[in-house]
Amino acid sequence: MMRALIVDDEVHAREELQVLLEETREFHIVGNCANAFEALKAIKRERPEVLFLDIQMPILSGFELLSMIDEDVMPIVVFVTAYDEYAVKAFEENALDYLLKPLEKQRLAKTVHKLKRMLGEGTRPAYEGPEIKRIPCVSSNRIKLIDTSDVEYVRSDIAGVYVVCSYGEFYTELTLKVLEARANLIRCHKQYLANIDRVDEIILHENLLADMQMKSGRSIPVSRRYLKKIKTQLGL
Amino acid sequence: MGVLFSLLQTMAVFLVVAYIYSKSPWFKPLTNENLSTRDKVYLYFFFSAISMMGTYLGLPVHDALANTRAIGPVLAGIIGGPILGISVGFTGGLHRYFFGGFTAFSCGLSTTTEGLIGGLVHLYLFRHNRLDQTFRPMVAFFTTMFAEIVQMAIILAVSRPFADALALVKVIAFPMIVTSSAGAALFMSIIRDQRNTYDKAAATFSAKAFEIAERTLSILGKGFNRETALDIANIIHEETGVAAVAITDADQVLAFVGDGSDHHRPDTPISSPLTWQAISENKVIFADGIRDQYTCSLSPKCQLNSVLIVPLTIDNDVIGAIKLYESRTKRFLNMNISLGEGIARLLSNQLLLSRYEEQKNLLVMAELKLVQAQVNPHFLFNSLNTIISIIRQDSDRAKDLLIHLSNFFRKNLKRTNELSTLEEELARVNSYLEIEKARFEDRLIVEIDTEPSLLNLRVPTFTLQPLVENAIKHGISNMLGQGIAKIRAYRQDGFAIIEIEDNAGTFNEKKSDHGLGIEIVDKRIRFLMGSGSGTSITCVPNEMTRVTIRMPMEASRI
Repeated sequence: MMRALIVDDEVHAREELQVLLEETREFHIVGNCANAFEALKAIKRERPEVLFLDIQMPILSGFELLSMIDEDVMPIVVFVTAYDEYAVKAFEENALDYLLKPLEKQRLAKTVHKLKRMLGEGTRPAYEGPEIKRIPCVSSNRIKLIDTSDVEYVRSDIAGVYVVCSYGEFYTELTLKVLEARANLIRCHKQYLANIDRVDEIILHENLLADMQMKSGRSIPVSRRYLKKIKTQLGL
Repeated sequence: MGVLFSLLQTMAVFLVVAYIYSKSPWFKPLTNENLSTRDKVYLYFFFSAISMMGTYLGLPVHDALANTRAIGPVLAGIIGGPILGISVGFTGGLHRYFFGGFTAFSCGLSTTTEGLIGGLVHLYLFRHNRLDQTFRPMVAFFTTMFAEIVQMAIILAVSRPFADALALVKVIAFPMIVTSSAGAALFMSIIRDQRNTYDKAAATFSAKAFEIAERTLSILGKGFNRETALDIANIIHEETGVAAVAITDADQVLAFVGDGSDHHRPDTPISSPLTWQAISENKVIFADGIRDQYTCSLSPKCQLNSVLIVPLTIDNDVIGAIKLYESRTKRFLNMNISLGEGIARLLSNQLLLSRYEEQKNLLVMAELKLVQAQVNPHFLFNSLNTIISIIRQDSDRAKDLLIHLSNFFRKNLKRTNELSTLEEELARVNSYLEIEKARFEDRLIVEIDTEPSLLNLRVPTFTLQPLVENAIKHGISNMLGQGIAKIRAYRQDGFAIIEIEDNAGTFNEKKSDHGLGIEIVDKRIRFLMGSGSGTSITCVPNEMTRVTIRMPMEASRI
């Protein structure tokens, strides 16, 4: 049985897909999500092997979601879409599998076959995703999208990952790894990513440690490991 | 020699009279191309008075009068024809007769004859279609000279004793012939100059042109076809008073009004070579009926013999012609030539404008067709997917939805009228909304609130559909929470207001796909519903987007 997560904003589309997947007796449906935010959480929590993902969804599209999933938990993705010629072209280029709505059993059977083979081979899926321009965050029951250009830095601790910007600190489901790879933020510390445009100065300490002074006055630590890289990036 | 100078003095008096006359309202009859009986009566009195004055101012010579009496009857004859000439001549002659003297009878007789001579010249010019020569001073000069010679002959032939007559003629012949001829010529030249002034004034008589412009422009707005051509031809005919008016397109007669309409029929091919020439060479052709003749190729009895043909053009393409005709008995007025050309230019401009409007409309229609054709496949396949899912749970509902779906497509694909009632528009949108409600279930709520009296409101077809589609596709479908779409229709200050609102507040002017639908709707409303109508957009980010349609009530009633 493959652990599968369904993500689609239309309730009947989810129902239909679930029925068809269950009929194949190859899947264990670990969840149904109506949008990318729910999906991010569910993926972290449930660690599905396969993700059936709609493209057109509110606020964050399926493509955007894809680029926000940490590669450690990246499931094999099957896009499920009604019609989008550009998207279809994109799948083909990216060697992604896709299903067209309304769904056909025969077509689904092929996909099942392919999925089983891939999981059997232990393929680690890696997908090219678009650059992350907006980071989905949660602030007191509201979903907030923060432009990466607004971000000062991102930090992580035991409680989770927080995006820090001039108007506050916001929790996000995205990992530092994803943000480092896909957003225009640079790693300066194991637990910190910085927006290089917001850096005011770097204060060097004797023991090869440093602090980064942000334009807002806040400062974050720079570890030995990343200092050199940052220096090069700043042209120092 | 003394007689000659005295007569020249008298002649000067005549010229002063002629000058004053030409500036007086009494001159008016002479500016008419065709003299009415009334005009001729005026002229009779005037020229008779001139003739008598000639007698009064005459110089007694040998029991007779050296005079310039001949000017009146000769000019009257040349201008008004034999009857007027003879009448004036007879009157002047009779007047002279009562003065007595041995030449009383011969002078009376010869004055009448001189009137006749003038009249014969008029007849000659008319027969040879050279009436435009009437007012030429040279004609008056030679006619008068000839008339005075005849008068001398009559005096010699009739007056007795012959010896006295001969003696008289010897004295008066030369001065009278010279002065009368010169006087008549100068007199005529004053008349001619004044007539030209009048004609020119008439040519720029803008009131008439404006009248025609105003009346024809509104008609042409309806297009260039048989009906509008007939209306315009009627107006031109009525306003210019020409014998006939025709309007053609590039190959056939669209309308013909006036003399000859019995054989010049609409819907027949253009027969006149002159018209073909005007159309093919895109130039104004004027056949004045004198040097260049218009010959009707349809009927030998046709009275029309002068014509002005002005091509109608759009962007230099000749699409037809306007023709103004005058009959044999009338001279083609300068005024009508300039009016005719002016009207044609005006109509050409108007045609260009209406062609532009038409194209603009076609463009809007084409865009609409595009939107219709774009019934977006995303919607179709998602709907089918939804319905397939619903079949499992509730087959009756699925059936209803399929019917809604087919209604939606049928209505979208159907060729429709420009205008629909609001009720029809709501019905069209209803099918769409039913399907969207099924797709989004509790994520979509639709509220429709329309004043019942506005259900008969006329709106451009496909006004609501694109706007409601926008509200859902670009608005509510992007919301995580519950979407509310509102359609309202109400009255406000003589306007009908229709509002389509969503609570997403995602309108973005920069995103062209969002704006396209609204832009087309806006264009069509402005075009079809006239001034004061249009759409406006209010957007409070993340709260609501509202498209408001305003239409004047009077334009929207059935």
